[in-house]
Amino acid sequence: MHHVVLDHWSRRHSVIHARDARAKLAVAILLLAAVATVPVRRYVDVAGFSALLAAATGLARLPLLGLAWRAALVLPFSVAFAVMSWLSGDPGRAASLLVKSYVSAFTVVLLLSTTAFPDIARAAEWFRLPRPVILLMQFVYRYLFVISEQAQHMWQASQCRGGARRAGRRRHFRAAAGALSVLFARSYERAEGIQRAMAARGFGGRFVTLSRWRFGWADALFLAVSVMAIAGLRSFEVASWTR
Amino acid sequence: MHIPDGFLSTPVWAALDAGAIVGVSVLSRSAGREVEETRIPLLGVMGAFVFAAQMINFPVGPGTSGHLVGAALLAYTLGPAAASFVMTAILAVQALVFQDGGLLALGANVFNMAFAGVLAAYLPYRLLRGGNTAIFLGASLSVLTSAALAMGELLISGVPIRPSLLMISVSLFVVSALIEGAITLAALRSLRALNPAWVKTPGRFTRVETLAVGSVAIVLAAFGVMLASGMPDGLERLLEDAGVAARAKPIIRAPLADYEAVFLRSEWLKKASAGLAGLALIYTLCLLAGRLLARRGRS
Repeated sequence: MHHVVLDHWSRRHSVIHARDARAKLAVAILLLAAVATVPVRRYVDVAGFSALLAAATGLARLPLLGLAWRAALVLPFSVAFAVMSWLSGDPGRAASLLVKSYVSAFTVVLLLSTTAFPDIARAAEWFRLPRPVILLMQFVYRYLFVISEQAQHMWQASQCRGGARRAGRRRHFRAAAGALSVLFARSYERAEGIQRAMAARGFGGRFVTLSRWRFGWADALFLAVSVMAIAGLRSFEVASWTR
Repeated sequence: MHIPDGFLSTPVWAALDAGAIVGVSVLSRSAGREVEETRIPLLGVMGAFVFAAQMINFPVGPGTSGHLVGAALLAYTLGPAAASFVMTAILAVQALVFQDGGLLALGANVFNMAFAGVLAAYLPYRLLRGGNTAIFLGASLSVLTSAALAMGELLISGVPIRPSLLMISVSLFVVSALIEGAITLAALRSLRALNPAWVKTPGRFTRVETLAVGSVAIVLAAFGVMLASGMPDGLERLLEDAGVAARAKPIIRAPLADYEAVFLRSEWLKKASAGLAGLALIYTLCLLAGRLLARRGRS
């Protein structure tokens, strides 16, 4: 299995990629909060934030369509609830839900495409988010692909043994439960092995990194410009809304 | 049900984010051995297992299949505190990497699935001390609780959902809850056959635990009553909008109609006492059902 495309994008080089992860995380959260607090029927105002995101994607030299496609992963849920709102007689809110959730998802995709996952985790730790959970997240992310690949191998093996031929729903259900428990067993054994290996290397619940945070002038400029742009767009909206 | 960003109103996501951060911090400090930091690699790999397990499809009906959600399975194998931790990490990775749930809405999703979902799965399991009924009931309740909470948060945030659509959603939740119950039960039975040590058999509730669960329930009931007295009942309002309430006639006169004890003067005291009486009634019913199921399980 290939690593997710976000991993490839996050290893590229650009003005945005080079910025400090803490600054990017703070800007992303600020942008998400700004989008989330746009009043319901002012969904067209979100266009300003979309333009900002498109500009940042251009600066990061990332494919706009690729990111847009990736952010569309949020749509199944959003469309379902937008349709429900529309059927309940509120098409304005339906459109707002759709647009806001999509722009928010794009923001997260852009953050992940310009910052490596371990850097985001370190930045979250710097912001004093609970360390054990951040550590756990990194392990989940690291082994996600390993265990998924194992599941895929097991599925392929079952297909080779004639698993495609359905032997009744009940038996198939049981076979799936068996596969799940075998996957659990293999994962658990692997997990214990990894834990022992980590303990042998002196792992005491903290990742030690050689690189240090460097918050330079460019990062400060990026943070200031982004905050001003977001605050400007938001206050423009508020002004036009209260008029 | 992973709520994306843009769906919840600011007070809802902000309050739940703050609550989730406090909850996770408290868990990480007080849970002790179960989530010891040197055990984190093991828990992390088990989190990755849940992702992979979701790739295994279970046939559930003509042309349809379901997959494991995992909160209950983790609670029964790793213990509730560790399961809550692993679920929190899974939800964070899902929000960041797979756009499944929002980043600002992460607190809400953690509260619904990692806290309430795991607790709803574990309590019946603990009360009935393992057994097939407890596993099925716990796993089903876990999904149902998470979905009901998510739906409640969306309604509070002002997402308009007609009563008829709400009923359809609730029926879908019930179906997916039953599927989760069946998958978890089948998987745990198969797991027990492989290695019985992997499935944790819960002991009896200690007095302190009973007291803690009881106090939390009472506090929640009191807060719920305060909230309910402060705002109009969402479901009632929906029914009024649809014109159902005007046509509705009581079939049986309920003993605690409109959650009020008529003999008390103060508004808050009336509602709170009726709420607590309701809680006592539900507790007694659950206790009786538990005893009955446990006896049937032994025979």
